[in-house]
Amino acid sequence: MLFRILDPQTKANQFWRDFDRLNDELTRSILDSQFGSASNFPPVNVYTKEDEALVTCLLPGLEPDQIEINVKDNLLSIHGKKKAEELAEGTEVHRREIFNGEFHRTLELPFRVDGEQVLAKFTNGVLNIHLPRREEDKPKKVSVIAG
Amino acid sequence: MNTLTKENNQEAKENVAEKDQKVTTRVYSPNVDVLETEEELLFRVEMPGVDQSSVEISIEKDQLILEGKFVPSLEARGQVRLAEYREGNYFRKFTIGKAIHSDKATAKMKNGILELTIPKMEPKKTKVEIQK
Repeated sequence: MLFRILDPQTKANQFWRDFDRLNDELTRSILDSQFGSASNFPPVNVYTKEDEALVTCLLPGLEPDQIEINVKDNLLSIHGKKKAEELAEGTEVHRREIFNGEFHRTLELPFRVDGEQVLAKFTNGVLNIHLPRREEDKPKKVSVIAG
Repeated sequence: MNTLTKENNQEAKENVAEKDQKVTTRVYSPNVDVLETEEELLFRVEMPGVDQSSVEISIEKDQLILEGKFVPSLEARGQVRLAEYREGNYFRKFTIGKAIHSDKATAKMKNGILELTIPKMEPKKTKVEIQK
């Protein structure tokens, strides 16, 4: 008969690790992860002013040259590929929550955009795209002349 | 279990609010990858919008606490048309084994990802001679 000897210290550590993981998952569900899953990666916010739209996008872990932005009329597309780092041999993975892979988002803006004037900045993993409205589409003010 | 979760949640909010001088700020739980090699533990944490100077890492006993303060833009952005995420601070807590060199931990921040490396202690080996 084979007896398995379990170290009580190891058992206790494992129990607390499992307890901590469960507790962490419950806390996360309450606190919310704002990065979502692969289906809505990257999360995007859109703001508009009279003369431009601003699109902000959370892209942690990407380099600017890994992001491709295209604009046509009132359509903006953001495309890229986030590569997972290769793991050294013998690396144990305890958690994998960060999304890696290809993503593609297309957004419809409320007005046509001047593609030549689009400005994109990438700081601390946040992409800010300023999209100026086409000059001919900007609202025109008509002054009223007294008759 | 519920009580403990609430306490942690409350703790997260209080922690950040206190440092924000009583300004209410949303707190998010960032995505984390945890890896382990023979020599070290590696934590990769998503904190977009956080500058290196706004990150706080503390290791006390067997608790690792990771915090990041989001600095909101003061630029006028206009009318909100779509909001898939909201801006706020980050908080995450882990229980890690005590067999680590917390004083030798190193961290770097790049493109919204925090990389924390904590070296592990070498297991004590004692050679026992067998008597004849």
